[in-house]
Amino acid sequence: MSGADTATTPQSRPSVGVALKFVPLRVEVNPLTGMVSADDRLAGASPADEAALEYGLRFAEAWGWDLLVASAGDHRCEPMLRAAMAAGANAAIRVVLPTDTAAPVVAAALAEALGDCLVLLCGDYSLDRGTGSVPAYLAAQLGAAQALGLVSVAAVGEGTVEGERRLDGGRRERLRIPAPAVLSVEAGVRLRRAPLPAVLRARSAPLQVLPTPVPYAIDPAAGTRRPYRPRPKALPSPAATMSARDRVLMLTGALSERRTPAAVRTNDPVQAADIVLTFLRERGYIS
Amino acid sequence: MPDVAVKPTTGDTTGGSRDGTPPAAFDAIVVGAGPAGAAAALTLARAGKSVALLERGIFPGAKNMYGGVVYGRVLDHLVPNWWQDVPYQRWVSRRATMLMTPTQSLTIDYRSDRWIEAPYNGMTAYRADFDAWLAAKAEEAGATLVCSTTATSLLRGADGRIRGVSTDRPDGDLTARVVIACDGVNSFLAKSAGLYQAFDPSNFTVAVKEVLRLPREVIDERCRLTGDEGLDIEIVGCTAGIPGGGFFYTNRDSVAVGIVVSVIGLAAARVRPEKLLADLKKHPSIAPLVRDGELLEYSAHTIPEGGYDVMPELVGDRLLIAGDAAAMCLAAGIWLEGVNFAIGSGAAAGEAAAEALDQGDASVAALAGYRRRIEANFVLADHRKFRRVPHLIMSERVQRQYPPFVCDIVEKMFTVDNPTPKLGLRRWANDARRTHGVRLRDLLRDGAVGLRSFG
Amino acid sequence: MSAVTDIRAGAAPEAPSIGGETVERQTWVDMPFADRMATVEFRIAERPHIVVDSELCEGCSTQACVTACPADLFVPTADGKILFNFEQCFECGTCYLACNVEGAISWSYPDGGFGVVMRRS
Repeated sequence: MSGADTATTPQSRPSVGVALKFVPLRVEVNPLTGMVSADDRLAGASPADEAALEYGLRFAEAWGWDLLVASAGDHRCEPMLRAAMAAGANAAIRVVLPTDTAAPVVAAALAEALGDCLVLLCGDYSLDRGTGSVPAYLAAQLGAAQALGLVSVAAVGEGTVEGERRLDGGRRERLRIPAPAVLSVEAGVRLRRAPLPAVLRARSAPLQVLPTPVPYAIDPAAGTRRPYRPRPKALPSPAATMSARDRVLMLTGALSERRTPAAVRTNDPVQAADIVLTFLRERGYIS
Repeated sequence: MPDVAVKPTTGDTTGGSRDGTPPAAFDAIVVGAGPAGAAAALTLARAGKSVALLERGIFPGAKNMYGGVVYGRVLDHLVPNWWQDVPYQRWVSRRATMLMTPTQSLTIDYRSDRWIEAPYNGMTAYRADFDAWLAAKAEEAGATLVCSTTATSLLRGADGRIRGVSTDRPDGDLTARVVIACDGVNSFLAKSAGLYQAFDPSNFTVAVKEVLRLPREVIDERCRLTGDEGLDIEIVGCTAGIPGGGFFYTNRDSVAVGIVVSVIGLAAARVRPEKLLADLKKHPSIAPLVRDGELLEYSAHTIPEGGYDVMPELVGDRLLIAGDAAAMCLAAGIWLEGVNFAIGSGAAAGEAAAEALDQGDASVAALAGYRRRIEANFVLADHRKFRRVPHLIMSERVQRQYPPFVCDIVEKMFTVDNPTPKLGLRRWANDARRTHGVRLRDLLRDGAVGLRSFG
Repeated sequence: MSAVTDIRAGAAPEAPSIGGETVERQTWVDMPFADRMATVEFRIAERPHIVVDSELCEGCSTQACVTACPADLFVPTADGKILFNFEQCFECGTCYLACNVEGAISWSYPDGGFGVVMRRS
């Protein structure tokens, strides 16, 4: 990636996009009030986001592509974006958004900024109680393939990556993902150290700022979207008259009948969805 | 190049040399964005020089810790009306010195209204706030602050002369026409340049400190403070006989308590430093001040306490050293100062370097203005005046004998022992002297040193 | 409590016999040491900035680093060597200043942006 290429033809090359989020990396809880406070000086990209950036840099190098980074947030994320430019990103975009914006809106904002990128990388989920849904929304928005929660990724042919993902029981699955794709990666690889000349350049490099996008597909009646959490099942405590042994048995459920864990063993998505739905219906989670 | 240097380098006689090396990227590199480095960068930038201010922490102050008080007079001409935006915690209105034995304490406690109004005397501050504030002033003046970058060594040209520093970043060499090393107490740059003739570990102390959260009203009540007023106590005799001392000071919503002990003494005594600190916190004179404080941050740092006689060479070819790197810490018992000496020496180094750059020559002779400046002001004058004091403070007598000796005299003075008649100061002093094995000869000699130094 | 009383009585802390197996280590429990260190932010580098030549430590009877290090990073092993951590280091330099075996502790600053981050000191 020579400076001359990027300066003259930023649009002419395909690009890898990396989405970063400015998150507190250390929070403190006041033991008296329970107030959580975060120190902005210790905030920045999470290790997973940094891993995404590192993979993005590797892909861009391997394929001779450009690398764009984007973040949705306030001005505080600009040092983080400049650090990404120092590490090798060709351009950085900030979309003006308040923190705690719902995932679909963040995805829409990022899609605006990074929509032209053929391969998009994110950290698996943000540290500030994120759910990891932004990459999924992003893939849906862009009509791209998605591979989320990858342990590692590697470039194979130009525009194609191979990723590894955890499965139950310690097994892994290996996915071959063609562009256009959205990938989210776990923390693991460390971000390279930025060269000193690049650090000095990045201090004054232009940083594109996009206005807040119009939220898409948000039903105001639906309120904030949150992942569904089943209600806890209330268990009666054992009667005081029971013997100690019976009480322990009741609490541990040691001798009671148990249902074996359900597993979805099919490659057909429709069938798999049916199995999951039937299971949830049987347990009373949905009707 | 043009997008690297904020300002074009002025002149080219010391940077690019005749052998075809490219001109320097900066007029000056300042290593370390603590108070010394920030002051040096500030004066250089004000003099119109391009200056890179390198900091290894993620922000200025991240690596720094101290015993609690910044004396601001040195800032007056650097940052006019500095008190209007400095990130202070409290203005020190009460300054106390405490002599302590395990069961006694004698405190001299002074309070003044004059210290809580502009231009103020001393303030407590978190170094992460204060150092970042001063470094921001240097940036505003035009300095290029580069954080998260460790200077690993001096960069030398083919002729062996310094032409910048190497950093730990890839492609990390940075060239300049003069280097100011403000890289702190461990100053690897000053050592590698051979400015330390003898490097003696016995000149160093280690400080450990706890910052404890307490509600503001509780601090005000316990320390008898109102509003922005603060208390600072320096303590002698609280380190179990290991040469050193202790301190206590107030922040807005926290208090700090710490001990400072000779590194060699600590190692010989085989005591964990946090245990010494725990004992100080349990002392009946300190315990009520820190009770129920919730630990916010534990920290440690070393301090160069040897004083004037162990200072290194301050000037090398194209190299100046300032602040802790040059051992500019005044540990003279009732005065414990460092940040002000760092700012004073850093500013003088910046001015001298700018002067040398104007002449196009940064040799030892051309940089002599640095020493001249700090000889003339408090930086070296104070150190020279108190050159014998660090040794006296760390002596067996001051550390082990004098605190109980003095406490016993005062105790006898104020113990009403009826029907025994009051024996009088001379008798009490003689009794206490015998009890604690204080020799009159030592007392007179130390008194003479004290008088000559402090008088 | 007894350790505190010793100090109060003005007695010098007892040094164990040379080569004695227990140096005084946290006999006085103020708060768990791990909790104390948890109040400090550390950015852990890949490269250790402390290196101990344990061969040289075998002949060391004082092992000053073990008691003096404010972060308690040095641990003596049964065979007279020293185990060390570099992760939670204050970067103060006490260890190499206190060490009296030439070359046993090599110490430099950690890479830029790593190591201790103090905020209220």
